[in-house]
This record gives sequence, structure tokens and C-alpha cells, in this order.
Amino acid sequence: GDALLPAPQSISILSINMKHFLTWSPVIVQGATVRYSVEFQGEYERDYANGSWIPISECSRTAATVCNLTEDISASVAYRLRVRAELGATRSPWGTMEGFFNRATTSLTPPLLRVLADGQHLLVELADMGPALQFRLLYWRKGHEGRVQQKVMREVSSVVHLDTMEAGAEYCVTAQTHVEAIDRSSSFSPTQCVRAQGDPSVWL
Amino acid sequence: KIFHLGACRVSMSMTEIRAGFSAIKANIQSRDPLRSLSILSHPHSLHKVKVGDRCCITHHLFTFYVDKVFKHCRTEDSFVNRKISSIANSFLSARRKLGQCREQNNCVCGEESTEKFKQILANYEGLNVTSAAMKSLGELDILLDWMEKAR
Repeated sequence: GDALLPAPQSISILSINMKHFLTWSPVIVQGATVRYSVEFQGEYERDYANGSWIPISECSRTAATVCNLTEDISASVAYRLRVRAELGATRSPWGTMEGFFNRATTSLTPPLLRVLADGQHLLVELADMGPALQFRLLYWRKGHEGRVQQKVMREVSSVVHLDTMEAGAEYCVTAQTHVEAIDRSSSFSPTQCVRAQGDPSVWL
Repeated sequence: KIFHLGACRVSMSMTEIRAGFSAIKANIQSRDPLRSLSILSHPHSLHKVKVGDRCCITHHLFTFYVDKVFKHCRTEDSFVNRKISSIANSFLSARRKLGQCREQNNCVCGEESTEKFKQILANYEGLNVTSAAMKSLGELDILLDWMEKAR
């Protein structure tokens, strides 16, 4: 019966930049491929739908020990998660992750960006980090730290034109990710500076 | 997005709710044989609600969906159930903010809006529970459109 197969252990969530993955330790049965099924329960199911659980079809009878929950954890409420092992008709008890998970606790990392000078144009290349994230860029002319400018970007295009620079001047850029749905931001990326083409204008 | 509902300013992830609903709208509406009847818009549209009453009636409507609608919409389709869960949990999160705001601002429903909400409940009670729940869920975009118009 079911008791022969132990429940998966070390169940935990890895959540970075609003992408959420459930992971667990494999259940080892010599010479056999153990499979797993995952279910989730939001606050709504707990409080209004008799504590029901909802299966994730992509993680039903999977041989992997990781499941992508991003599509299903799409509200800022407390979720519970569970996984069980399956071998043929035998099923283990459910292993339930300890505590709750709320996406508001996701880890946010600064964006990956590359700052370029194209002649006198200040350009930035940003890596796409998924639909839930926006970027806030701060840029200034070196030595004019009191006049920092800001640009908020909701969609990422490959290269962004930030400003037209003064000939020969140096400009610096830093950026952070922001998630509107949970109203949180990452730390800022390391500052990157570039120099505009041309000779700095000399006033006689 | 920030919604200005009468005295209340409430932020909501409308994009996620819309995406979840769009993914299942055709499926849900195909389960509603009485398309000519409306629960939210009969006899009058939500657009007739006064600005000052929006906070109160929105809170009532979110409570209506959380308490009465979503739980009776379980289907045999796992994908649909997952999207309904996503919307239901988003509504729960948003309703909490609305409730807090209502208390702080003492938003009360005027007579007309109270009557409007009673009519919605009467429309709902007039059908068997599963049909009423599926129809209400199928009309979610009517509520979302009205709220977006109120932004």
C-alpha cells in the first residue's frame, strides 16, 4: 500500500524576481523511477473552498524534483504547497511545505545592464527579466550628481536611448528592478560610466 | 494600477486578473446557456453608480464574488480551475485593501447603489447556484471594465 513510499522531504520554494519554484529531495527506490505530483492551496481555497487543493498538471507524475509555480502563484496571499511520490499505483503520503509562501517575499536582484556611448548618445542594454518586473534607471553627468535624472521602463526593448551627452563628458548610470504587484524594489546595480565622443567644449 | 473608487485609492494587479480571466472567458461563457440574461447589468448598468458610492459597491461586489461565485465554479478542467483560483486569490487580496479603505473613509452605499446591489443578488438568486455562479464569472469583464473606467 501507500505506506511503503515515504513522503518527499526538504520541500522548499526558491523565489527570485517573481519566478517561483518548488523543490524537494528525491525519494530513492532502487531500480525504479519515482514520480511526483504537486498541489497548491491559496488563502481563498483555505478560507472559502473547504481547504481544497489544486493540482498543477505540468507537475503531475513528473520525474523531476522541481516544479514551476509562477503561473499559479499570481496573487499576493499566503499559499501552501504539497508534493507526494508515486510509483506505479503506490502513492506516498503528502509532504507539505512548512509554513506559507507569499510572493511578496520574492528575492529581487538588480537588473543586468550594459551602458554604451554611441557618439554622443547614452545608450543602455537591459536583460529581459520577465513580465512582472519594471526597471528604474538613474543617470547623471559625472560631477553633476545633484542633477540625477530618472527613467522608468515597463517593457524592455534591446537598447534604450537615455540621453544626448555633451561632447567629451562622462555620464553614469545605475538601475533597480521594481515589481508593481508587490510594490517592492531591488537594490541598485553597480554604477557604470561612459564618456561621450568629441572634445569637451573650451570657453575662452 | 491605482483605482480611485470614491474616497478610496486602492492598488490592484488588474493585469494579472485580466490575463487569468481572458484565458478562461470563452470556456466559462460557453457553460452559460442563458446569454441574454445578465446578473451585473440587469436592469441597469454599473455605470449608473454614483462616484461617491463606488468604493462601497466595489467592496460589496468583491465580497459577492468571493463568498458566492468562485466556490461554485469548480470544473472538470484543471487549467480552468487553476485560473479561477488565481482570480479568486487576487480578489481576496484586493478585497482586503478595499475593506481597510472603506473603514478608514467610512464609505457607505447610497440608496440607489444599495438597491443596485440588491438587484444583483436577486438576479443571482433567480437562477440555480451553478448557473448563477458561472454566469457571474462569465460577466467578470463587465466589473473589470467598470472599475477601469473609474481609474
